Amino acid sequence: MLDVEQMSRYVSPINPAVFPHLTVVLLGIGIFFMAWFFVYEVTSTKFARDLKKELVVSLVASIFMGFGVLFLLLWVGIFV
Amino acid sequence: MAKVIMKTRVLTLLLLHLLISVFGKLNQDSIDKNLVNSKVERKIDIATHLVKTVTSITLENKGTSAIRSFLFALDPSLKDNLSFLSAVTKDNKDEKLEIAETSVAGLSDKRFFRISLLSALDGGKSIVVEVEAIYSHVLKPFPLEITQAEKQLVVLDTNLFFYSPYPTTSQTTVVTTTNSNIESYTKTKPVSQSDATISYGPFEDKAPFSESQLRVHEENNSPFLTVTSLERVVEVSHWGNIAVEEHIDMRHTGATLKGPFSRFDYQRQQDGYASIKNFKTSLPASARDVYYRDEIGNISTSNMKELDESVDVELRPRFPLFGGWKTRYYLGYNVPSYEYLYYKGDHYALKMRFVDHIYDDMVIDEMQLKIILPEGSKNIELKTPFDVQRKGDEIHYTYLDTLGRPVVVLSKLNLVEQHIQDFELHYTFQKFLLLQEPLLVVGAFYLLFLVVIIYVRLDFAITKDEAKESRMRVSTLIDEVQSAHDRRSALYQSYDDAINKYKTSKDAAALTSSRKKIDADYKQLTQQIQNLQAQLKAEGSEAAEKVAELQRYDIQYKEQIGLAIAAAEKLVLGKLTRQQYLDTEAATTSKCEDTYKKMESLRSAL
Repeated sequence: MLDVEQMSRYVSPINPAVFPHLTVVLLGIGIFFMAWFFVYEVTSTKFARDLKKELVVSLVASIFMGFGVLFLLLWVGIFV
Repeated sequence: MAKVIMKTRVLTLLLLHLLISVFGKLNQDSIDKNLVNSKVERKIDIATHLVKTVTSITLENKGTSAIRSFLFALDPSLKDNLSFLSAVTKDNKDEKLEIAETSVAGLSDKRFFRISLLSALDGGKSIVVEVEAIYSHVLKPFPLEITQAEKQLVVLDTNLFFYSPYPTTSQTTVVTTTNSNIESYTKTKPVSQSDATISYGPFEDKAPFSESQLRVHEENNSPFLTVTSLERVVEVSHWGNIAVEEHIDMRHTGATLKGPFSRFDYQRQQDGYASIKNFKTSLPASARDVYYRDEIGNISTSNMKELDESVDVELRPRFPLFGGWKTRYYLGYNVPSYEYLYYKGDHYALKMRFVDHIYDDMVIDEMQLKIILPEGSKNIELKTPFDVQRKGDEIHYTYLDTLGRPVVVLSKLNLVEQHIQDFELHYTFQKFLLLQEPLLVVGAFYLLFLVVIIYVRLDFAITKDEAKESRMRVSTLIDEVQSAHDRRSALYQSYDDAINKYKTSKDAAALTSSRKKIDADYKQLTQQIQNLQAQLKAEGSEAAEKVAELQRYDIQYKEQIGLAIAAAEKLVLGKLTRQQYLDTEAATTSKCEDTYKKMESLRSAL
């Protein structure tokens, strides 16, 4: 067992002070892409749909939404 | 045994228990006949609901061989109530002596502790050892029941003499009471009383295990508050937070309330001396987001003061606590991880208080500490400052968990303030596992989007509407024509740019190469529009005519561009005067503009 004296204090990989900013920015971008995706899905006809575009836009949207939601949880005090 | 290191498996735990009990049987001591307590000063403090004794023992080794340890026996009246025991030598108060429970053959009814000295005590030498012992639930209310306005009286019934396996040459006992209101006390001479202290002794030459009654009946209105059950939950998050929540069941264990309770009298006359209105809990100085709740919700009658060294929370239960009354609440807060969590590489250690302050002179009958570690923590090792029982590890599920978080469960009986000491919990955790949680949310969103992508491709229509399908196809084709045409229009501009560049640089090779490139794009787009036009025709759309017209205009435009390039080449080669060139250029530009306008109106009319 290591001695605590030889160890350093553990701080979060991301400073909790920037959780609100990260949440707003990431969720903002995420919602933009999500909106784009849904608008595309409901407006394009079945002949005009481009699967590759759908997959790429939704992937970008889900990455930003995912991280945004995580930081939202952390911001409101749900420390996952 | 100060260190307890146990493995995680229940089986191992059981085995260890077995081993300890076997070892306990072997762990037997005998009473050294050469040891004598030459002087004993005993202080018994009954000012609160605890009995705190400090015994200063001058231990003399009358033999010739050195001794390394001696035995400390618990008084029969107190032996089942011991909460805490510690010993130091008078010369070195910082270093605690090692204490282990033991037994003596033939004296199985008594409880013994072996206190090991820091250095061996040679024959003829003596040493002063101070033993501090805290006992709970020793003071008995007498009478057992009181009314609201009555004061609480309690009785201490114990041994006047120091209960020791060794003969005692000289001893004194001082009892500190709550105040000077003492109903009665044992008057074994020599005795004197002044204010809140009763002094007995000195008593000379008492045999081992001497007993004589010491009974003090006094007024004691200090809060007889007992935490009957405490569950402390520590949740570690590697996102930089440690959440602590304490579920507390408490009970007033003093004289029970007789007769009715009048809120009016309580409020007006400020009676209810023995009742508990409020108490103060000290939390760590870094505590944030403190909450004080019970089953109904937030208990608003609390105050919080942030001091330099602690956060003091003044808690007022929903009702005052009289004897026998109970309450139940939970108190929670967050602390930043850097206060208690340490790391080196993948190795982490949580160093935190096993139990924290609840109220002054607290008594906890039973507690359970649950430490929830992040998901994926492995190789859990525990180090505690005192003996605790480690129960089987549990799994806890909370937000964004898949396999669940490991929970270390510890339990201990009978704790007091002196048990506020740090434990250490070591574990390993791989940093990349921290990404599991966000990726889980990302995955969930992507799944939702995939479902949408699949859903829009499903057709639930019972009949097939050909006309509508055709309309949709036509509109898609028109969209494509428009976008292809837009790109082609951009190419016209590229031609202009190339010509202008050529005119200034006069580099024929550059013009040829850029023309080649634009030509290739242009051809491809024109071909695409041609194909789309064929498809539109197949659909029977009238837009096909318009696209054909668009193509015709395009050819005209392209011709004009060809003329413009030829003119520019002639100008550069000197076959054309500047004026002639300007005239030609004006002609082509006006034609181009004309055609362009027509094309644009056609495009939007599609």
